[in-house]
Amino acid sequence: MAIRSLAQKTGDSRTSTRKPRQNFETWSWYFMRISGLVLFFLALFHFFIMHILNDVTATNVTFVATRWKNPIWRLLDWLLLALGLLHGSNGLRFIMDDYIRKPAKRVVVKSVVYGIAIIMFIYGTLTIVTFKG
Amino acid sequence: MSPKSATIYKGKTGQWAFVLHRITGFLVFMFILLHVVDISTINSPHVYDAIHRLYGNVFLRLFEVGLLFGLTYHALNGLRVIMIDFFPGAIKNEKQLFYFMFSLSLLLTVIGGVIILRPFFTGSTH
Repeated sequence: MAIRSLAQKTGDSRTSTRKPRQNFETWSWYFMRISGLVLFFLALFHFFIMHILNDVTATNVTFVATRWKNPIWRLLDWLLLALGLLHGSNGLRFIMDDYIRKPAKRVVVKSVVYGIAIIMFIYGTLTIVTFKG
Repeated sequence: MSPKSATIYKGKTGQWAFVLHRITGFLVFMFILLHVVDISTINSPHVYDAIHRLYGNVFLRLFEVGLLFGLTYHALNGLRVIMIDFFPGAIKNEKQLFYFMFSLSLLLTVIGGVIILRPFFTGSTH
């Protein structure tokens, strides 16, 4: 990105005339930056409230019940769950592509990792949605 | 010198930033999985409260401080990555940026760590 915009500014014909392909990896790259920026605020804010302002032992059922009376908190917690799992599993995808060299093994490990992420997403969503207080 | 040892990349700050980013990202993801499970016990209040009393244990408080470091480092270094990607000028200062972000995450971990561990030492916890 930095190289491309630099090339455009300096009018480097070798790079600026070639239009970048908008493939899956391009979207993945944008997604990591945008979700990362959103998570920067969401995750640090969440940690600050749940671990700094309140002691971990104080965040009991009563605490959560009061908090989840407001649907905005449920929405923010759900957003943290969804973005955290998506950002995390995409990050794990880079790691798996880097370290698992055998194609068959890669398919198996990726299936397990994505499977766990999907199950956790459904499980977490159910917890947030079905809690009656 | 064998070809293998001749091509070892010793790495500079950028590589250490990358390695730490990867490790902290992996660990934070593992924590999310644990977190989804512990929160799911909310419909069995006694289990949920027992787990959160257990989290008040000094070892799990240290684990909590570790999570704080992983989270703040990954978040701040992620900002550094975004700055390098979108502002060409940032690459010239990437080393200083790394030292700044790393120090800031350490500082926040120490401050947060004192607050997280304090109840254990003052005995104001279960």
